[in-house]
Amino acid sequence: MIQEEDIEAPVSLSLTPYSGTWTKVQAAHLLRRTLFGPTFAQIQQAVADGMNVTVAQLLTLPAVTEPLAFDPAETVAPFGTSWVNSVYPSSGQPAVNNAREFSLGAWMMERLNQPTVSIQEKMCLFWTNHFGATASFDARGVYNMHQLYRANCLGNFKQLVKDMTVDPNMLFFLNGVSNNQFAPNENYAREVLELFTVGKGPQIGPGDYSNYTEADVAAGAKIFTGWTVDGMLSDTLTSPQAVYFPILHDATVKTLSSHFGNAVVNNADNLEYSNYIDIIFQQPNMAKYICRKIYRWFVNYDLTPAVESTVIADMATTLEANNFSILPVMDELLKSDHFYDVSMLGTIIKNPLEHVFSILNSTHGMPTYDLETNYTMYLNIYAFGQTLGMDYLRPPSVGGWTSYYQAPSYSRLWANSSYIKLRFDLGTYLTVFTGVQVNGETLKVNALDFVDGLSIPNNAPQVIDDIVDVFCPKGLSALQKLTLKALLTNGLPDFEWTDQYNDYVANPGNVTFSNPVKQRVEFVLYRLFQMPEFQTI
Amino acid sequence: MKRRNFIQSVALSSVGAPLLLKDFKFGAITKELFKVSRDAEDRVLILIRLNGGNDGLSTLVPLDMYDNLVIQRPDILIPDNQLITINPTNAMHPVMTGMANLFNDGKLSIIQNVGYPEQNRSHFRSMDIWSTGLMDPAGTTGWLGRHLDQNYPNFPDDYPNASYPDPFAISMGYEVSSTCQGLMANFSTTVVDPFDAFNLQESSQLNDGTYYGSHMEYLATMIAQANDYGAAVNAAANNGNTLSTMYDDNNPLAVQLRYVAQMISGGLQTKIYIVNINGFDTHDSQVADPGTPQLGDHANLLKSVSDAVAAFQDDLNLLSLEQRVAGMTFSEFGRQIAANASLGTDHGDAAPLFLFGTCISSQIIGPNPVISDQIVDQAGIPMQIDFRDVYASVLKDWFQADPADIQAMFEHTVNFMPVLDSCNLGINENKLAGEDVIIFPNPCGEQTTIRMNSKNETVTIQVRDMFNRLVVDVCSKSFNEGLHDIPVTLGDLPSGEYLVTVMKPSGNFTKRIVKVKHI
Repeated sequence: MIQEEDIEAPVSLSLTPYSGTWTKVQAAHLLRRTLFGPTFAQIQQAVADGMNVTVAQLLTLPAVTEPLAFDPAETVAPFGTSWVNSVYPSSGQPAVNNAREFSLGAWMMERLNQPTVSIQEKMCLFWTNHFGATASFDARGVYNMHQLYRANCLGNFKQLVKDMTVDPNMLFFLNGVSNNQFAPNENYAREVLELFTVGKGPQIGPGDYSNYTEADVAAGAKIFTGWTVDGMLSDTLTSPQAVYFPILHDATVKTLSSHFGNAVVNNADNLEYSNYIDIIFQQPNMAKYICRKIYRWFVNYDLTPAVESTVIADMATTLEANNFSILPVMDELLKSDHFYDVSMLGTIIKNPLEHVFSILNSTHGMPTYDLETNYTMYLNIYAFGQTLGMDYLRPPSVGGWTSYYQAPSYSRLWANSSYIKLRFDLGTYLTVFTGVQVNGETLKVNALDFVDGLSIPNNAPQVIDDIVDVFCPKGLSALQKLTLKALLTNGLPDFEWTDQYNDYVANPGNVTFSNPVKQRVEFVLYRLFQMPEFQTI
Repeated sequence: MKRRNFIQSVALSSVGAPLLLKDFKFGAITKELFKVSRDAEDRVLILIRLNGGNDGLSTLVPLDMYDNLVIQRPDILIPDNQLITINPTNAMHPVMTGMANLFNDGKLSIIQNVGYPEQNRSHFRSMDIWSTGLMDPAGTTGWLGRHLDQNYPNFPDDYPNASYPDPFAISMGYEVSSTCQGLMANFSTTVVDPFDAFNLQESSQLNDGTYYGSHMEYLATMIAQANDYGAAVNAAANNGNTLSTMYDDNNPLAVQLRYVAQMISGGLQTKIYIVNINGFDTHDSQVADPGTPQLGDHANLLKSVSDAVAAFQDDLNLLSLEQRVAGMTFSEFGRQIAANASLGTDHGDAAPLFLFGTCISSQIIGPNPVISDQIVDQAGIPMQIDFRDVYASVLKDWFQADPADIQAMFEHTVNFMPVLDSCNLGINENKLAGEDVIIFPNPCGEQTTIRMNSKNETVTIQVRDMFNRLVVDVCSKSFNEGLHDIPVTLGDLPSGEYLVTVMKPSGNFTKRIVKVKHI
């Protein structure tokens, strides 16, 4: 194994627009990083549209419908309608909430299983990781928090932090509800500095973390006092609400450390938190922290000194120039010379949801049954994500998933010996085994639809080339391709596949001809999903 | 860590002073002492990670500070008549019957006020510090990873092999342990269920020198290792056994430790096992209700730990593995002295650390924390024993690592203390069982106490220095049948290490103690 410092440095560290060749390599790279498994058709379309049009499309947010009631335990919202603004019954709330959480989890998976070319879902997961908040016991509050991420996913970061500070789910998660002037609770005040905004720098003195101090944490706790939540699991209120009680607020004058210019925060009651966040956002290191996280999420884990002084500094400049609006930063990054540098291909090992949905989305695997069947299938998929280490509603800690911060392994943590086995098992399950079975229906790779959508489906070498283009950031060796082609042709000459495929096309609906084609493609995918090359984006 | 900063932080801490252990000189005597009863190669270390920052003051309550604890944490403090008193000045949480029994059996050691200078109260940073044993934020290798790197420098290339067919470390669950991160790769293999068979497709990968190439090589190695180590783990599990009836299937930690016992008894050569329990970040609902502070989240967590450790130790005893296995708990920090208003506690500083096994050196190391009668905003327990010295001492006592190699692993000047050496000392064939003599406190100041059982016999107790010179002739007299506490005055002897020898008709027992200047 080579050591980190030996790794070939990127040729370009520039955020100026990429002007090199625009082929399926670059187009697929862009889509793999921003979607959860692009299809062959989407890659072809992006090649035809070019970089600017594709990025513009990615940065457009589609309208999204709400999660629907489907579980029998939901006794308030009628089957098939949204429950997100429904009250709870006056008794038996936990069972109803379970039903709602099931609906929410299934809906989140359904969102990831859409053919829409938009960065929205990647950003929602990014913000879920960034704020690390676990689902509280009122699913409406969890949905509302998720909607903050969704609606503001490319919006103003400063406003998002403000909104999150008084979000009911967050108030529960980091003990804002029990933070009052009589006994401040530091939990949110610490994490807002350490993890959400300026980030922690090196410890340069007792209780001094370069960007803030322990005294700032204590002052912040006082500033945030006074907020609590009303309407959790309420049978009268249609959603949980943050409520401000002046009596609980610490009205003293708070003075921040020199890292914030010794700023004085005067009492401003229910606006005080907002004033404080404005001050935090003036901290000189503020913009860089979130830019590093964006970089790690979309480009590469390795923040070398060279990347710090060029890419990160330039991203931060853009973020500050746009008053902390995220969209211009993403626009610049996704069109940058650095992003398309050949050394940045395949630098990220897929997270569990990227893994699961690159299998399903890229092969057109999508359930099209009734609501209850679809949602139950999605709950199974949710459990796969959980088992592989990514429980979307419950990040492991307020710091998010370890793969996004734990040096030196980063995304390799997704592929340790236990997880790699589970990944292989899952690939097997969704290809050559049964797939997810609910109510007599099946969800797995859609092998026929997938192969039909390739450029020359009856040409065996071309089928393998297209598959490699969809799934492998830097291709496969000639030997690996031969292995896959042998699986496709069952070890026979290529023309046998051509005949087999032509017979299937000539006899629509005849399983005698379609089943062998389906089976051969499933074998190829099964083997491909066990290759290291498939594990990266 | 700059020495100057360290001194500064000492001056700033309002209560307590850090323990400065004298550097230990390694000479011929110690070499002689290190005749081990079992080859260190056979030894196993269990790490139990209490993730989230365990509230030490509710785990081990300093009874001499109880009145001030009432002031500091009125709503969450457990009534003293419900605590389990283990000695005149210490008591355990009422749920910790299992570990209290181990303490009484001489199989549990408590190191008080463990932490590091200039406590960092971030979970993430502090867990990194505890995992790496390094203060340098750029340090990424784990403390056990560095130890293993010293012995197996080419890992993971050419491993497993005929000499080392088994994983060096196993992390139970789905996550590798940062403590085992080596220079090139993490030494720990994850195991969820050791009975699971592995049969993954292998492929050879060339590393083209890019990030991608490095990932490819990593994945190919991981797949091959998963197969090889998976087969070894599987074989050991099928070959192994567990005998204790104390494991609770509903206690995830107990289930993990039972798997560990199964693998050890099945002959797996793995040296290190890491198990984990989450949930110690008790900002709220640490106790269920001020009326019943003995119940709640923290009680449930401690019960899980205590029950699981007791079951595991019982199993080791039944499997005749006790001499080969020792365990240690760790957590990223303790919690603040004063409670918050949410029936919880916020991130603090030092806390007690537990070692368990029959080879522990002494029962309580370090004095009780000092609790003020004034509430000081954000105050934690000041550290007195550096966790890195505990790590270093574990490596020296348990794995018999060379002290110079150990020193090379750390940034600070290591101070060794006896922690797991009671199976190392040159004890004659008539040796007493370890539980017959306890010396506390150790390290100690001018006074310490020897606790021993007598069978109505004449006992001679002597303290000798490392040159085998008699420095204190404690006593030589007849003791009635029963338990005796014999005070020992070391007076103004120089700080450093001494050997206490207890001579009885049935055999001699020797124990090392450390005298320190400031305690």
